[in-house]
Amino acid sequence: MSGDSLSAAALQRRTISWGTAWRIARADLSWRFRGLRLLLACLFLGVAALAAIGTLTGSIQRELDSRGRLILGGDLGLEVWQRDLTGPELRALAALGKVSIGTRMQAMATAGEATVPVQLKAVDGNWPLVGRLRLADGRTVGAPPPGEAWLAEGAAERLGVAPGQRFAIAGRLLTVGGIIADEPDRLGEGFGWGVPVIVDAEFPGNAGLTQTGSQFRTRARIAFATEQDPAAAADRLKHRFPASGFALRTRDKAAPGAENFVARMGQFLILVGLAALVIAGIGIGLGVASWLEGRRASIATLKVLGATSADIARITLLQVAAASLAGIVAGLAAGVLATPLLAAALGSLIPVSPGFVIDAPALAMAATYGLLVVLVFTAPPLARARAFPAMALMRARISPLALPWRHALLPVAAGLAAIAALALATAAQPWVTLGFLGGAAAALALLALTGKGLRRLAARLPRPRGALLRTAMANLHRPGSQVPALVTALGFGLSAFVLLAAVQTSMSANIAARVPQRAPDFFVLDIPRDRAGEFRAAVAATAPGAQVRMVPNLRGAILAYGPPGLMTRVADLPKIADNAWALRGERGLTYADSVPEGNRLTAGRWWPQGYAGPPLVSVDERLADAIGLHLGDRLAVSVLGVEREATIASFRRIDWDSLGFNYVLVFSPNMLADAPHNLAATIDLPLGADGTKHRPPGLLRALVRAFPAASVIETGPILRDARDLLNQVSLAVLAAAGVAVLAGIAVLVGAIAAARAARIYETVILRVLGASRRQVLLVLLGEFGFLALLLALIALPLGSAVGWWIVVRLFEFDWLPNWPRVLAVLAGGLALVLGFAMAASLPVLRARPAQVLREL
Amino acid sequence: MTTPVISARALTLTLGQTEILKGIDLEVAPGETVALLGPSGSGKSSLMALLTGIERASGGRLAVAGSDFADLSEDALARARRGRIGIVLQAFHLLPTMTALENVATPLELAGQPDARNRAAEELAAVGLGHRLAHYPAQLSGGEQQRVAIARALAPRPPLIFADEPTGNLDAATGAAIIDLLFARREATGATLVIITHDPDLAQRCGRIVTLADGRIASDVRR
Repeated sequence: MSGDSLSAAALQRRTISWGTAWRIARADLSWRFRGLRLLLACLFLGVAALAAIGTLTGSIQRELDSRGRLILGGDLGLEVWQRDLTGPELRALAALGKVSIGTRMQAMATAGEATVPVQLKAVDGNWPLVGRLRLADGRTVGAPPPGEAWLAEGAAERLGVAPGQRFAIAGRLLTVGGIIADEPDRLGEGFGWGVPVIVDAEFPGNAGLTQTGSQFRTRARIAFATEQDPAAAADRLKHRFPASGFALRTRDKAAPGAENFVARMGQFLILVGLAALVIAGIGIGLGVASWLEGRRASIATLKVLGATSADIARITLLQVAAASLAGIVAGLAAGVLATPLLAAALGSLIPVSPGFVIDAPALAMAATYGLLVVLVFTAPPLARARAFPAMALMRARISPLALPWRHALLPVAAGLAAIAALALATAAQPWVTLGFLGGAAAALALLALTGKGLRRLAARLPRPRGALLRTAMANLHRPGSQVPALVTALGFGLSAFVLLAAVQTSMSANIAARVPQRAPDFFVLDIPRDRAGEFRAAVAATAPGAQVRMVPNLRGAILAYGPPGLMTRVADLPKIADNAWALRGERGLTYADSVPEGNRLTAGRWWPQGYAGPPLVSVDERLADAIGLHLGDRLAVSVLGVEREATIASFRRIDWDSLGFNYVLVFSPNMLADAPHNLAATIDLPLGADGTKHRPPGLLRALVRAFPAASVIETGPILRDARDLLNQVSLAVLAAAGVAVLAGIAVLVGAIAAARAARIYETVILRVLGASRRQVLLVLLGEFGFLALLLALIALPLGSAVGWWIVVRLFEFDWLPNWPRVLAVLAGGLALVLGFAMAASLPVLRARPAQVLREL
Repeated sequence: MTTPVISARALTLTLGQTEILKGIDLEVAPGETVALLGPSGSGKSSLMALLTGIERASGGRLAVAGSDFADLSEDALARARRGRIGIVLQAFHLLPTMTALENVATPLELAGQPDARNRAAEELAAVGLGHRLAHYPAQLSGGEQQRVAIARALAPRPPLIFADEPTGNLDAATGAAIIDLLFARREATGATLVIITHDPDLAQRCGRIVTLADGRIASDVRR
């Protein structure tokens, strides 16, 4: 038999088929993925984080969507401020289906000595149109009977009342009918100050809380009689009642605030997860490079047997793809398994589908990101593997191979472009995403350059006299040292730790210290305009020295704006930009004779005292910029269902940081003074001798007694809620950033494992030369301690600088980080790094010289 | 006259500043058994690297198994080896993650042979390892590993076989058995055999002994 028995065509085939490549790859691949475990671990971590974040976000969003009708309390929701619905409006709603009407307002509840701000929800007999209210005693009920109230657990606790006991709102006694266990449309109620109390629909009117000018909202919910498009029904209502000031909501956008928050938070966490995956990518690249180095002989053997570089590329690509697939599948599974745990941690904050959720789009996105990161980071080592010469078998050493960029450039560039495109295409805020991607890329590049610089610096430093320290230092810069990769991978995660700790403690300190100093201590709504003097007197009697600022307070929606005769109707706008938020729904309106405190005119002139000409308005310059207003343009607003127009006389810059009453629109008094309205007030307590503010014990009670229809909002509990929310958000981001640190540690462990043979050899030589195990331990500690010190020196300034920018420039707060806590977080991260480094080096310490030398 | 299976003219190899081979002229006819003899550093292994296309010559002409190696790229040289040149190395160089069967099947698969596994099994049976098909190299003795390497080199039925110090890593008894096997398999396939060795006794078993010294052919004796 001769060699000609193999067909000439087969022998000359340029590249083996994918099937043949797979047979060879499969035979050559250890199913325990020996050598590729760093790739597996890094990919697993990154994909699991992305899968969990995506699944959880998707799960919340789907739950919000599927429960939309329940959350809204019907198919269509409608709200107007400070008035009841008119006959034609009610008839138009009734034509759509079953209607439930109620009111919402802030109020004060009292029981004995306790005075508590509450969100009062008055509901009619049709409520709830969807679902039932469940009480703590197990009853499912609708509206409470007259004279009774359903109280949220927090309200009952703060008032110190139990079912059957009595309390008062606006001077009217109510009996606690039950404690609310599950309120079907709570999430759709939106944000409110105080704890919820539900009463029957007639109560607010009987208690004088809905007098003309009071700050109440009439809320209607409609369950359609026949199936129809809620958005189309909402549009019809808006166009039929153009001056109504209706704020309309449909069942598919039942909780827009929550949906926006979840979408933006989810997107941000995905980006943090993506950054973690990129860090993991460094590990993936190192892992594959190290695996291929170990396979030089095998690759050379395959070439001796007739494999071309293209064949080698196919075989190694398939092997890496198989390991990647395993890592991705395991990561996806872990992500799915982790979601119920995360959902449980979220508790009752937000609805999440119970149990395991297979969210195909979220998992597909995590897997796609995983594959793209693998492509970007494995292309260079795989391209290098193509070039391993067969001669490697014949000669112990061959010159180092240059990276054939021709083969690597296209996949790397395509992978990076695809990652950016996917992130931008799925972004809730593309500019924020672009900024994050740019920032992360810049940070990674900076870290990589710093790492390279440090390796060079370590090589040029004077050599320490002690042999052990010299060995430790040499490990940082010797050929094959992974210091640049480690600085990049660990520096990014640790910088993120520093950044988060600095931002969180700064923001928390601002809320705890600066905001209370600047913000008023109390906001009071619904003070009758003819009792301003009495109010000041009541405050002065119980809180001497307190400063009271009072303003007329109305609600109204902007209906139209623009040059006379060419005005744009807000109802016709397809979308309202974020910075034109004042166009959405009803906003606070006021009038004044002079420029309000804390405001500064930037264009135009203020109207004179006692002005009696055509109505004028002064507009916030940011809104003017956002919607292109000019002096002399007209602005139409709906006040109590009546459309009124004014000419723009000036623009103002508002100091929003003053945290008092700030109005986007301030009218000349002759525009609004005839409309029924009340006053709103802020109360600033004087500082005590100890430099802190003390709440006078009788103030709230005295105000409630003298002004039963007024409601008082305390800033203290609001700030506590804000800090709680900030802490929860910080925890979520910290958890996502933790994955970046874990990925960095995986890179570290992988780099140590890759260099283990060389380290064992050096350790054995040191031991043969007389070093004790303790001294070898000191060498390792010295090396990793120096690395930790470098990381601290990089992470602290980098994380702090970005944190400073976020706090001072982005949020315009003071830079008040809690340094001991920031340093503790950094120290914790470094301890983790050191611990893992030493644990991964244990085999080096345990190596027995005699055995190693025998095996050499 | 039959076409030589190896035809080298003025072949040189220079690595860096070092001249390894300094003008080799060599022709080998089909079916010959040739021993390349010489001390360490004489250029034996480098000459074999050129003749097998593992390394490219710095100068001269070289045609092997009908292909002009001088004009071929590294990938083209790899393709030229497929099915035409079998190589047995001193350190065996079996793929450690593959079984004996998979190791032998690999060159057949690279050459696109459809029944690679069956032919590999037959070849392993022919070298006395029919019972070791599923064993990994680490589970085989040195002698067994070299038998697998011989089976792997011969499985595609190449007209030309190179063996580089095939017994260098084996004890004397095992080495003798391996050489017997190598010659028996060559006999069975009719291939040309080139053995690199520094063992004069082994060289005596070949029909021709080419001795290298300092990168040149010092003697070329046909027996």
